[in-house]
Amino acid sequence: MAAVENADRRRRILVVDDSSLVRLYYHSALERAGFAVEQAINGIEATEKVLAQRFDLLIVDINMPGMDGFSFVRDLRHRKADIAALPILMITTEADETDISDARAAGVNYYLVKPVSEADLVRHATALAGPAS
Amino acid sequence: MAPHEKHAAPLVTVTADDVERLCEFLYRRTGMLFDGSKRYYFDRRLTERMLATRSRTFQEYFANLRADAEHEIEHLINAFTVNETYFYREDHQLRCMTSNLLDEIVLRKGPDEPIRIWSLPCSTGEEPYSIAIWLMENWPDVDRHNIEIIGSDIDTRALAAAAEGIYGERALMRLSRSIKERYFRPLMDSTYQIDPGLRDSIRFTKVNLVDTPSMAGFRNIDIVFCRNVLIYFDDASRRLAAENIYDCLRPGGYICLGHSETMSRISSLYRVCRFPDAIIYQKPEAEDGSR
Repeated sequence: MAAVENADRRRRILVVDDSSLVRLYYHSALERAGFAVEQAINGIEATEKVLAQRFDLLIVDINMPGMDGFSFVRDLRHRKADIAALPILMITTEADETDISDARAAGVNYYLVKPVSEADLVRHATALAGPAS
Repeated sequence: MAPHEKHAAPLVTVTADDVERLCEFLYRRTGMLFDGSKRYYFDRRLTERMLATRSRTFQEYFANLRADAEHEIEHLINAFTVNETYFYREDHQLRCMTSNLLDEIVLRKGPDEPIRIWSLPCSTGEEPYSIAIWLMENWPDVDRHNIEIIGSDIDTRALAAAAEGIYGERALMRLSRSIKERYFRPLMDSTYQIDPGLRDSIRFTKVNLVDTPSMAGFRNIDIVFCRNVLIYFDDASRRLAAENIYDCLRPGGYICLGHSETMSRISSLYRVCRFPDAIIYQKPEAEDGSR
């Protein structure tokens, strides 16, 4: 259970994916590993959360209605320093070279192709966000 | 779903005297006192056992019971004491879903095309939540697809309870401790509430299996779990329900029935598929246009 906000020293991760089951799958895996997790259904909701709360890592899908992952990442990289510098892990079903180079160009730190196992997810999240708590 | 559903009559009739005889017998044999006054529950469970033993009349069933043919006393007690459904019930079908059905279904899917799984009837939510949990725990490809899970029932009180998602220990008895910790929040009085994220990932709707217009709102379903409800219908209602579900399924879609039910007795529309873990019925890929 989350302690009160000030006492919660856990690393915070935002999971951005349009599928509720996928969000839940990542959320519960990361929470079990000791991270505090928030969710957003697309780039628009993710931007609102990123502007309002502190995060240590964003995990972002590409294909989402409203605002896709690329647009979200490009937009984020042009914001003020602390937000523009947030580590981003992109996880998607697209595995071709163009998507990977597009992701790099947009400013993604690391790229994983689905399916991603719980162990891999936690390993990469820890590498990018730092140890869970 | 209720056996007294509008167009579907129960298959067997049991008189008040029959109920009394049965209660008395059970009391003498087991010391357990069953409440014959709640006829809804009583008849439902007795009907289940009479159908399972292929008894045509109460008298025939009662004779089998007294002889304890095929451990019927134990079966009857189980039927009467398990008052509610539970998580991971008949999980061999869930295993079949992740070992066989989904692999075949995703072959026919375009990118981002949703996979639709329907729990019908969903009662108080144990089945659709079990499907979601099972997928997250057992299907390595769960994050590669957009999965929609729908829970439908005719009973709006059951649907309200499903959306609230509060369960007792018994409903969770088949779940491991780690699954309980992961997807439930303990409340007071030994009850547990389903994770809000899990609750929001299921869409709950009211539907009547034998009401064709209300079923027409559901299309392109890939898998239907329709377990232990058709046994309560008469032949005509049962066939109508099976046809309605057929129209909701995508060609190649599957329907899972309860372990004591067989589609071949209900409708010839479906193909029988024998998988290692379960027998599942399929809407054929190519329709012949007769419907």
